[in-house]
Amino acid sequence: MMDQIAEQISLIGQRIPKPDGAAKVLGRTQYINDMVLHRMLIGKILRTDRVHARILRLDISKAAALPGVHAVITGDDTPMIGIGVNKDNPPLKSGTVRCIRDEIAAVAAETEAIADQALALIEVEYEDLPAVFDPAEALEDSAPQLHEDKPGNVGLSYNISYGDIAAGEAESDVVLDETYDLHYVTHCCMGPGCVLAEFDAMGKLTIYSQTQYPYNFKMDLAPTLGIHPGDIRVIQPPVGGAFGSKLDVYPFEPICAFLAQKTRRPVKLVFSREEEFIASPTRQPVRAHIRAGAKKDGTLTFRDVNCLLNNGGYTSWGATVPYVMMRTFSGHFRVPNVEFKSTAVYTNNPFAGSFRGYGNVQATYVTATLMDKMAEAVGMNPIAFRLKNAQEPGEVTPQGSLLKDCALADCITIAAEKTDFLKIYAANAKVETGRYRRGIGIATSLHNAGGAKIHKSDGCGTILTMDDYARVTLITGASEIGQGIDAVITQIVAEELGVPMASITIVNDDSAIGPWDVGVHASRTTFIAGNGARRAAIKAKAQILAAASKEANVPAEEMELRGGHVVQSDNGVSIIRLDRLLRAMHFAGEDAELVMVTDYYEPPSEPEGDNHYGDMSAAYAHAAYVAEVEVDTMTGHVRVEKMTVVQDVGRVVNGLGIEGQIEGGIAMSIGYGLTEDLRIEKGIVKNPSFRDYKVATAPEMPEIAYHFIENDTPEGPFGAKGIAELPAIVPAPAIANAVYNAIGVRFDNPPITPEKVARALHGGQDGGDQ
Amino acid sequence: MPWLKFMAATRSRSGFNMNEIANYIAVDTIEEAAETLAAGPVTVLAGGTDLMLQTEAGTRSYAATLMNIRRVAELRGVGLEDGSLTIGALTTVSDLLADPIIGAHCPILAETADQFASPQIRNMASIGGNICNASPAGDLLVPLIALGAEVALVSKADGALHSRRMPVEEFVIGPGASKLGDTEILTFVHIPSQDGAAGAFRKFGPRPALEIAIAAVAVTGRIEDGKFAHMRVAFGAVAPTPVRGRAVEAALEDKPATDETINAALAATDADISPIDDVRASAWYRRHLIRTLTQEILADVFRA
Ligand SMILES: Cc1cc2nc3c(=O)[nH]c(=O)nc-3n(C[C@H](O)[C@H](O)[C@H](O)COP(=O)(O)OP(=O)(O)OC[C@H]3O[C@@H](n4cnc5c(N)ncnc54)[C@H](O)[C@@H]3O)c2cc1C
Repeated sequence: MMDQIAEQISLIGQRIPKPDGAAKVLGRTQYINDMVLHRMLIGKILRTDRVHARILRLDISKAAALPGVHAVITGDDTPMIGIGVNKDNPPLKSGTVRCIRDEIAAVAAETEAIADQALALIEVEYEDLPAVFDPAEALEDSAPQLHEDKPGNVGLSYNISYGDIAAGEAESDVVLDETYDLHYVTHCCMGPGCVLAEFDAMGKLTIYSQTQYPYNFKMDLAPTLGIHPGDIRVIQPPVGGAFGSKLDVYPFEPICAFLAQKTRRPVKLVFSREEEFIASPTRQPVRAHIRAGAKKDGTLTFRDVNCLLNNGGYTSWGATVPYVMMRTFSGHFRVPNVEFKSTAVYTNNPFAGSFRGYGNVQATYVTATLMDKMAEAVGMNPIAFRLKNAQEPGEVTPQGSLLKDCALADCITIAAEKTDFLKIYAANAKVETGRYRRGIGIATSLHNAGGAKIHKSDGCGTILTMDDYARVTLITGASEIGQGIDAVITQIVAEELGVPMASITIVNDDSAIGPWDVGVHASRTTFIAGNGARRAAIKAKAQILAAASKEANVPAEEMELRGGHVVQSDNGVSIIRLDRLLRAMHFAGEDAELVMVTDYYEPPSEPEGDNHYGDMSAAYAHAAYVAEVEVDTMTGHVRVEKMTVVQDVGRVVNGLGIEGQIEGGIAMSIGYGLTEDLRIEKGIVKNPSFRDYKVATAPEMPEIAYHFIENDTPEGPFGAKGIAELPAIVPAPAIANAVYNAIGVRFDNPPITPEKVARALHGGQDGGDQ
Repeated sequence: MPWLKFMAATRSRSGFNMNEIANYIAVDTIEEAAETLAAGPVTVLAGGTDLMLQTEAGTRSYAATLMNIRRVAELRGVGLEDGSLTIGALTTVSDLLADPIIGAHCPILAETADQFASPQIRNMASIGGNICNASPAGDLLVPLIALGAEVALVSKADGALHSRRMPVEEFVIGPGASKLGDTEILTFVHIPSQDGAAGAFRKFGPRPALEIAIAAVAVTGRIEDGKFAHMRVAFGAVAPTPVRGRAVEAALEDKPATDETINAALAATDADISPIDDVRASAWYRRHLIRTLTQEILADVFRA
């Protein structure tokens, strides 16, 4: 009993491998694609090949007669109840198709081959309707109208106005007027879309889903299926990537459920890669027109932003990204007068969903390159100009974000110092000869880092239980979609309870077990679910120490948990082994108790009110990234040689996890800035394959230098902030600024492909994209 | 013969093409292969890195018999005789990269192999498959044309094996089209002695690796007495097939190895190529790249 338990090294900040990593690398992970259930059928969707047309005839009789086919359904069999943000997208379309991804029929068959054959036997006749693909054209009076109840093709609009633009303009010495065209990219999840649906004999639905918001998913799925949300159980096997693409209900999910309902058998539906490119949501394309001013001394005076969003045929989260964009335009750097207007306009293109960075990718591409243009226009260097306009800790943005521990100036200063920015910048700009030219560029941004209160609650439920052997089961509402929350929560709980990480099991894959959480988005999970897990662990600890106090007659305040023991705080001497104590608590006759605690953590943030005002996150974070590039002035190829990351992370919880997030974000952002381009011409996706849609591969990854700013944000778990989106937001404009430094050319229409660079430098006449 | 019967279904983009392989056969000798081909519609399978993708995508369908030739041992490897090389059709791109004979006598093929796909694909991809696939952007075709390589094509009729030879340049006739007869198998690639000539291959795609060329250039020849001599030039991805650069060759041959000559050669590239605009690149950009890559080879390799 006199064992002395050595003080444990804190787990916070350690490099902890993802617990799901080994199985994935070994090929043992069972994804939904791999699942086979008894009597399972294969579902397939027939998509239209028109961009806007009336369906004159849809004949499924031959398909239905094919042996091995168990069901063929069309919009005539399923309710015309829309899903998505505007509820404008019935899972199966009847009457009219509005974009190339439109689902018009679906089959369930015994094999994939039979299902394919059945699709081929479905006969469709159309009458083509006039189509419109450009959002500006779609706003014209003469444009075809896509949805009867959306006159003028306006899907959604967002507007804010703070201060006085005219006054801001009047005091400006420099006014820039710029237009950006931000393109389509898509998530490129390694695991393509899939779902498996099964109804039990009582009519309750179990859906094996890739969703990243299981609880509200039930609410969004139920109406179109005509069942009660409570009768849906969502099971979440491991997913091969989500990145925001699984934050809504998409037609294939209710379609699969309809097929399961009709056949009374489990039905699995898996996208082909081509289907994944055509029929999963994209990042929201934005045409941004911005006027902005500054005084000679560098003080920003106003930003006046007008955005047109190509909404495509239906409305998913893509149309709502202005919600995030406006926080960057109004709140990133001190801007006294701001107006932001955006309109999402229906067209006959495919539609956008949510995507890591959520509008801030677009807003930061604009602001971060515009800051450089403005610096040049007022004759300041990019660092001094940014520092002049950086907010101080405690400042409140026009929209009400309280930047309690604002590290923007620190990020900029450290980034400049670590890269010797000003010296290299000046030297590069002087070089005007030679095939290969080097450039350096900085970009910064601001993102919510303590959740985002866009729903009634931004909370997360947690249940913590301990068994007789001091093993912990932590049930959290927060999903693991590859982002690494399982490791982070394990660390946090192990840290609080003084137990080995191996003794903790995380359960978060079944909506019938887990408590509510709003979903994996907005860089919120470490912050929100991490706080929830920590608070649950603290409650469990209090219960344990109270019991230990009774058992050993030592005041609870003089004890702590360490190395699987209850120890005396002052000398670390073991009072009782934790598992023994738990058994003693459990088998105590009438006083018996189990350690079983619950927590619901609601962050101290507020929903937006009028004029989109409100402190909607419990923390905000800044980052400054510096890109160093080499441009081949002949081929136009841009190589990113180094990325220096300076990011306010509050506190590093998992060193490996944070670097993984940043690396992945940089890869995505290099894709956004340089190579990825979903080519949609007249509504048709021209490059639906990895052959012609270019994601960055290993050789394109630059050297990465990390500098974390760790100031322990007061509300964060162990001081941590959310970190996951900034890495996908900031690199692309840093690269664009570096390209400018190298060759003196601006690209306001990413991606900066070799051809665009070559055209800019050598002029090109015939064809192709200018 | 190990006949295996099975059914396979392939699908096109919207599942409209359903076709079945009735027979699968894996042959061990050239003769067996030729016999099987003589017996009726056959699809030849080598590494499958083109075939499988094309059938999956529905741009091509299987014949009733699928014949795997990968067990034909005599078709893999590189031989050297009097300075000429014989390369078996099943020799993989990885083999080309590592083979000491290639390294010593025909390094341009190793250089090409190094810019080809990824290691995984190189391990499967065969030289014969690259030639028979006849892609305008097929990488190996470009140096093979510059090298003056010939293919040997074998068939069986009236109880006897027949073999014919033709230059690679003539063999490929359009995107995906070649002079390969329905009953023929490509057995060997013959490369005439290069007699110490230099050579270089360059390709460009937006990414540094795992990339289909949007322009490719191969040049062989040497500098004799300060003049370009025995120059052979080929271009890839800028015409319906990889093409000889005859105008460029003429601009170089027997001319002093100077900037002036090189500039004249670059000006001549336009006459040799007929690029198009497509989703990967515009015609303008392909022309620009051809000049850039040709200049790089002539200035950096030949005059270095
Ligand atoms: C990811 C990826 C990357 C790629 N990158 C490149 C690249 O960088 N450069 C490039 O050039 N190609 C590339 N390819 C294409 C492909 O790998 C090559 O063309 C390869 O050389 C084909 O060889 P194979 O043995 O796989 O041919 P297969 O696919 O087996 O056959 C191709 C065609 O040739 C026929 N055939 C094969 N061998 C013979 C023979 N001996 N006699 C008669 N007919 C025959 C087949 O019937 C078929 O029509 C890539 C492919 C993939 C999937």
